[in-house]
Amino acid sequence: MIVELGHFSVIIALVLSVLGVFAPLVALRTKNADWLRVSRQALTLIFVLLAAGIASLEYAYLTRDFSVAYVASTSNSKLPLFYTIAALWGGHEGSLLLWVFILSAFSTVAVWLHWRTQPAIMPYLIAVESAVMFGFLMLIVFLSSPFERVFPPPLDGKDLNPLLQDPAMTMHPPMLYMGYVGFSIPFAFAMAALFSGRLGEEWIKVTQRWTIFAWLCLTIGIMMGGYWAYYELGWGGYWGWDPVENASFMPWLVGTAFLHSVMVQEKRKMFKVWNLFLVIVTFSLSLIGTFLVRSGVLTSVHTFATDPERGLYILIFLGAVLGTAFGTLIVRAPKLKSRIELDSVVSRESVFLFNNLFFLVAAATVFLGTLYPLMIETWKGAKVTVGPPYYNAVFMPIALGLLFLMGVGPYIAWRKASVDNLKRNFLTPLIVALVVTLAAFALGFRSPFSLAGAFVVGFAGSTILADIGKVSAFFARRDRVDYVRGFYRAFRNNQRRYAGTVTHVGVLVTVVGIIASTVYQTEKVVSVRVGDEFVLGDYRVKLAGIHDVRGPNWTAKEGRFELYRGEDLLTELKPQKRVYEATQSPTTESAIYAINMGHVFLTMPEVSPEGSATARGVINPLILWVWGGGGIMGLGILLNMFRPRRRDE
Amino acid sequence: MTRAWQIILVGALLGLFALFYQGLWGNPRYIPTILIGTPAPVFAAPQVGSSDSLSLDQFKGKVVLLNFWASWCLECKLEHNNLLALNERFGRDPNFVMLGVNYQDKEPDALEYLRTYGSNFQHVRDVKGAIAFDYGVYGVPETFLIDQQGVIRCKTIGPIVGAVYDNYVQRVLPALLSGSPEQVGC
Amino acid sequence: MLIPWRSAWAVAGALAVAASVLAATVDESDLDTRTREVAKTLRCTVCQTETVWESGSPFAGQVRDAIRERLQQGQTPDEIRAYFLSRYGDYILMQPPTRGVNWIVWVGPFVLLFVGGLILYRSLARWVTPSLPPPAEPLDDASRQRIERELRS
Repeated sequence: MIVELGHFSVIIALVLSVLGVFAPLVALRTKNADWLRVSRQALTLIFVLLAAGIASLEYAYLTRDFSVAYVASTSNSKLPLFYTIAALWGGHEGSLLLWVFILSAFSTVAVWLHWRTQPAIMPYLIAVESAVMFGFLMLIVFLSSPFERVFPPPLDGKDLNPLLQDPAMTMHPPMLYMGYVGFSIPFAFAMAALFSGRLGEEWIKVTQRWTIFAWLCLTIGIMMGGYWAYYELGWGGYWGWDPVENASFMPWLVGTAFLHSVMVQEKRKMFKVWNLFLVIVTFSLSLIGTFLVRSGVLTSVHTFATDPERGLYILIFLGAVLGTAFGTLIVRAPKLKSRIELDSVVSRESVFLFNNLFFLVAAATVFLGTLYPLMIETWKGAKVTVGPPYYNAVFMPIALGLLFLMGVGPYIAWRKASVDNLKRNFLTPLIVALVVTLAAFALGFRSPFSLAGAFVVGFAGSTILADIGKVSAFFARRDRVDYVRGFYRAFRNNQRRYAGTVTHVGVLVTVVGIIASTVYQTEKVVSVRVGDEFVLGDYRVKLAGIHDVRGPNWTAKEGRFELYRGEDLLTELKPQKRVYEATQSPTTESAIYAINMGHVFLTMPEVSPEGSATARGVINPLILWVWGGGGIMGLGILLNMFRPRRRDE
Repeated sequence: MTRAWQIILVGALLGLFALFYQGLWGNPRYIPTILIGTPAPVFAAPQVGSSDSLSLDQFKGKVVLLNFWASWCLECKLEHNNLLALNERFGRDPNFVMLGVNYQDKEPDALEYLRTYGSNFQHVRDVKGAIAFDYGVYGVPETFLIDQQGVIRCKTIGPIVGAVYDNYVQRVLPALLSGSPEQVGC
Repeated sequence: MLIPWRSAWAVAGALAVAASVLAATVDESDLDTRTREVAKTLRCTVCQTETVWESGSPFAGQVRDAIRERLQQGQTPDEIRAYFLSRYGDYILMQPPTRGVNWIVWVGPFVLLFVGGLILYRSLARWVTPSLPPPAEPLDDASRQRIERELRS
């Protein structure tokens, strides 16, 4: 009964979303503000109704109501409580519901936040958000409803995919969706600006804050996904250039491009159309990403079958959104042309534009790589794989170019950089970068990419350090305080700029983590009997025993490995080979020992009943920097979001 | 925004949607095999339930239906009765032979499977997956048709059921047996 | 695949005690290392973009065994890759081979970068308006320091 109520609320939400599209349009036409208030209420109500829908489904999960088909397919009576709650987004139907719920929450918040300050934009914002919700709700109500009942109900559920039964995986999809959905607000603002023809400065400010927030969520989501892949999939890699991963990476790249180029619009009132284009592309990629993953267009052989009908609907919806967005842009753009005047090609403005070019080409590379197998299959009827070696060869050089620009952009003068400015800011960093590269060579870096990586990291890092040193010294001298306080004053004096610096430092830290853990990785796979030991880098690993362990809904063979350095016992590592009861599907649980920001990573891919096992040991030096950098990036964003307003802002 | 950019943008969007549209109808199970039209790799392998070896050479000059299966494979059960029916129907033809290849399986399980579901043709064991590699097999069930000249003419991924089965009965096998592999149409 | 663990493990316990007497330091053989290098370049065709090295699927396991066997027989990594390529087509490789239309993915991004850079540079040059008097260079920190120093003195 409660589930039916939830189902019913979602249907009402669908009806209300139609009102949410049309009421603002009526309001615009009749200039009657009542209609706008109605649409605002509709939007708020949709949020409440969808919350009720989610709650009713959670109720079904908690009461183990397996007569609900979706509940039965994603949970099981033995599934622990925590995962039972998260199982809602463990499958197709539920994740769509979560997606649209977050969308309704964000748009409700956006409307309440900006109702007074952005009255001109409101009708468009509500209409655009409602239209996107309408599209999703149609899909949920008619083609993939999580509320469907089955009769007779199965005795027990099929269980949540074991790979998803993991703390990081419970939070990873909601974070990603918050990122995707967060971009819908800037998108709606951009559409409002296009429709109304008002390309004033006001929309940019709001858009910027929402983009930063969405970017933060997406970054956290991607980082969590990487960490999950790292320790759960058991091969110790954090990024496999899989279509699902790429789908989240593309909006991130273009969103990052927007965050940079919007600064030019703010400072110099240029590139308005370009920024609109970037906002639209970012959200389009979020939608395309969601759908590529959901429609099954990109899934490979021997995975779940696709449903062309659902896919076709998704495609029509996608076409409607993208068609409207780009169509309006194309029609309106010529009228919106802002005058572009530059003082010199060598200036921060143009570095920002080159940054945009690199980000877009990077995104295009991922896009091409992701879709190429589909293209070649459609065109030639053949199958190809575009895997990590491709991206390492093609994406990485572009990424290194971006890193180089990251060292240039913030430190080159606006308008026109003189030769003196260039020399003062970049000569020393270039020398430092060369020294770092030589040092890296001496430390055993050999591949051109790792050496180039060392060069750009050295360059970008030293520009940041030089800048910090200079301003700290300046403020220290001005206020007669020590350097640390000087730095703090400089930071407070222009928190926005230094929040950006913090994010850049985060990027560098992540890159150092990636390079170090790739170049210095040690891997060994051995077959060991109980009592045997093997040497892994500076460590010795000894198999002390293999035991049976039992979890709430799985049983496992657990290897107890002792980790020694010299004669010191550092820790006991306990990788598992699990079998989940309901699905009988095996998973490999890794065991990790963190030391000096690196990991000793151990898995046990095979166990034999005779007391021997295959052990796979990997040493990943500095791997924690990969995620530490992510944390620093997030910190930078938070410092940007919570900063004292300056008078000129 | 100049005209050129507008055209590029519209063109890119249209191209993208055409691609997605095509992608929707693509069969995710379809894997083009590069082996069609090439000589079938010859193998010799022990039979299921005995140590006697069986070689593909023994069936030279015959149309061979080669079916890869396993006891743990659910879709193999779906097509099993159809396989038996195919052999009922075409097995009397001296130029036709069916051969099962038991893949990634344990012999007792395979025997149990054959006892439970019945069998009217011979099966060999692919112990290390070597035969499957030679035939570029991805998973089970997969079925190959080899003509009288020993050339691979057809490959079906997934179970021989429904329209696939009808096509086998009405067109593919009669055409192969009448010695006109050009008109096989599979 | 579940084995009746309990009984098997009672036996295993006894065996383990016996085995620990024979405990040894084990190491990867050269063959293991070479198998891994080849396995990392082939795709597990039944998985989603995983190499046969990473994948835990039975298919991947059999490919690894086949690689090892072929290495033992003295085949080179290139010969082994060529064999799987001849059976499965381009799909078995982790990246599109550099020939034919595949050049699109290999050089496309760089062409895009180059052409985009060219267009961008030319647009920038066009946007520069030299008629304006060159603006004063915004104060950077060093010159600001100098001015303040001079003011103070």
